[in-house]
Amino acid sequence: MIRILLITAIMILPVHAYAASQSMPLKSVLIDLNNKSSLQRGAQIYVNNCLGCHTLKYQRYVKFVDHLQLPAETIENNLIFTTNKDGEATKIGSLILNSVNPDHATEAFGVMPPDLTLIARSRGADWLYTFLTSFYKDETRPLGVNNSLYSNVGMPHVLVWMEGLKKQSSETGGYEYINKGTMTSAEYDNAMTDLVNFLVYVAEPAQLDRYRIGFWVILFLGVFSFIAFLLKSEYWKDVK
Amino acid sequence: MSNSNKPSNRRKFLTNLTQIMGGVGGVFAVIPFLSTMSPSEKAKAAGAPVEIDVSALRPGSYKIVEWRGKPVWVVRRTEEMIRNTLEDDKVLSDPKSLGEHQPIYTKNKYRSINPEFLVLVGVCTHLGCSPLYKPNAKSAELGLDWNGGFFCPCHGSKFDLSGRVHKAMPAPSNLEVPPYYFASDNKIIVGEDGEKS
Amino acid sequence: MDKFITWIDERLPVSNFVKNHLSQYYAPKNFNFFYYFGALAIFIFILQIVTGIFLTINYKPDAASAFASVEYIMRDVEWGWLIRYLHSTGASFFFVVIYLHMFRAMLYGSYKNPRELLWLFGMLIFVLLMAEAFMGYLLPWGQMSYWGAQVIISLFGAIPYIGESLALWIRGDYVISDATLNRFFAFHVIALPLLLFALIYLHLAALHTNGSNNPDGIEIKKNKDANGVPLDGIPFHPYYTVKDIFGLSVFLLIFTFVVFFMPELGGYFLEKDNFVPADPLKTPEHIVPVWYFTPFYAILRAIPDKVGGVLAMGAAIFVLFVLPWIDRCSVKSIRYRGMSYKVLLTLFVISFFGLGYIGMNPATPVLTWIGRLFTLIYFGFFVALYFTSANEKTKEPPDRVTMHD
Repeated sequence: MIRILLITAIMILPVHAYAASQSMPLKSVLIDLNNKSSLQRGAQIYVNNCLGCHTLKYQRYVKFVDHLQLPAETIENNLIFTTNKDGEATKIGSLILNSVNPDHATEAFGVMPPDLTLIARSRGADWLYTFLTSFYKDETRPLGVNNSLYSNVGMPHVLVWMEGLKKQSSETGGYEYINKGTMTSAEYDNAMTDLVNFLVYVAEPAQLDRYRIGFWVILFLGVFSFIAFLLKSEYWKDVK
Repeated sequence: MSNSNKPSNRRKFLTNLTQIMGGVGGVFAVIPFLSTMSPSEKAKAAGAPVEIDVSALRPGSYKIVEWRGKPVWVVRRTEEMIRNTLEDDKVLSDPKSLGEHQPIYTKNKYRSINPEFLVLVGVCTHLGCSPLYKPNAKSAELGLDWNGGFFCPCHGSKFDLSGRVHKAMPAPSNLEVPPYYFASDNKIIVGEDGEKS
Repeated sequence: MDKFITWIDERLPVSNFVKNHLSQYYAPKNFNFFYYFGALAIFIFILQIVTGIFLTINYKPDAASAFASVEYIMRDVEWGWLIRYLHSTGASFFFVVIYLHMFRAMLYGSYKNPRELLWLFGMLIFVLLMAEAFMGYLLPWGQMSYWGAQVIISLFGAIPYIGESLALWIRGDYVISDATLNRFFAFHVIALPLLLFALIYLHLAALHTNGSNNPDGIEIKKNKDANGVPLDGIPFHPYYTVKDIFGLSVFLLIFTFVVFFMPELGGYFLEKDNFVPADPLKTPEHIVPVWYFTPFYAILRAIPDKVGGVLAMGAAIFVLFVLPWIDRCSVKSIRYRGMSYKVLLTLFVISFFGLGYIGMNPATPVLTWIGRLFTLIYFGFFVALYFTSANEKTKEPPDRVTMHD
């Protein structure tokens, strides 16, 4: 029996984690989707700094009412800045889009800024966190910054006003700040945790439901298996 | 194998328990499947309440907006039209709006919150044509006893200025009033009940 | 009620059917753990059909909107995420169950006389299931869907003379495109499920003709009582129905745990790159098929020649079809077979897992060489079995079944 279980375990359990070729080890970030205020702050950072270029085109604003516990008016007043072509404010039931012109964007950055709805599922939370905290000054790049995780990235350091600008120190291999931003280094790390937390939520809103429902399903099936076992044993008393 | 054909009580009990639990589990498992067929967030967003600005609407004229793919009329009635709205008499089939074709707050003679504004779903209750707006009384087309209202060109159903159906018409009931409320004096929200109701 | 049943039976012998296949269908009483997987495979087949129908309600087989429609199901359709995870997890579990089901047949010689046809139907089901899974995997239209399909379809291009035009015909375009997606959708939701349904029917019909084998590999019909009931048989209903209900509930416990708590299973059931929409201009760094194809994929890569690789992969599957004729030992169950079969089967299982692991990883020189070794063992199993099985030193199987486990 143990042998059988082992075979099953080997077939079902992951033997190793996927690791794409990486230029540096990833920093780990603690994800907590129950921390609604963190998700709210993350959403705020996203619409103010990222949405200008990166859509969340599979997600609707109205989901924030339940998932982020925000009243509809708060969302309409603080998170929706876009309008339709007639100048009316975007409706809360709409998908989270922007008005980037693909031609202009491609000219400016070399590529169309990708949609980020699923970025946390394709890249992972730790990758995003490391990426967001790894911009440094590099005069050789057209935009003046580079990223230690994603070298020669086409994206500017949009959050430089928060973080300030750091450069790679040649002796220690670490960073030192050359310009201050509005936040301390620790505050910036917390803000990025909120942003990544929000992106993890947006990548799969079903997470909020499936852990909760899954608990009851497992509990039910546990009890049911026990009853089924008793029933089977009862009948199999006959078999000798 | 046991030779007695009589199942023990324990066996019966466990069989019943398994059947009941399996049944309950089965019902819970069916719910998600059936739920996928109800309107999605996309359909709900498309069917969200619409806002109508009536400040520019002249008395006597009307405006059509789309709500959930159906035409919704907003008619701004004149003093005369309000006066012409039929009292209960021989002409109307359901003058007191007893049929459930309007929200409770419009169950009155004018079938509206404010008699000046009539909000109706512009779909004939007969076979779904869109009736025409004929506000003027005593027309050549509709006869001398016509008091103004709506006329369905498909099968000739007549409705009064509150959307109430005349007697002996193909249409079985009054025109439907959608849920709506006044967000301000000039702004009507169609598709949602106001907070007071 | 009795009258109604009589009325029906006069027109369609339902009661007889129930008697012949459930309440008076005698199955060996010594089934062990491995005998759960047939019933479980039928359960998953039904689950895939039902979840599939409800996914089809909202899915759009169109290259421009397929990816978005899957995300629409995941977010905007009420409970859509659950149906989708049941379907995607169900696909992987289908293969877990089928591989264990096939392994059971190898352990106890279930493919041997008189059950060769049963095995052939089973193998056909396995091949169709691989086609079904492969075509289904294109539908989400992610990067892995696209490039996985690209790689597999170009395999057909390796066939001499007709290869290129065959690949073109399968795709219906010069690249994987909307045309390919549309036809794969048609095959995935209509053609293959219908064929699978028919084959599963034949598989069961063949099974009930001679009855099940068992862990002792002896025929229970050789020992019957005065009424013609096998002495070692028990009626399928209620004994195996209650047993399978228990097996199903434990299976569901594991299955729903994955569905609710780890539907991606660390990138094995849902690959990370498949959350990026298909982009014909950008190949992912590391194209890897879903885990259940990787043993065969590793065999493909082990051969340093395109045509040779494709032939080897095809042979790896084909050789399983002829297993009943390769294995010439008259004793069925591994319990009474010689040491040679035990060693060979162990090596075969190790090579299968090894190949599966290698197929998931980038082809480094070391892994390629290990892959070749395992490929050799995989085929070596069948060659060695052919020569050793005829004169195997077996034990005498018992006359009646034994109960343990």
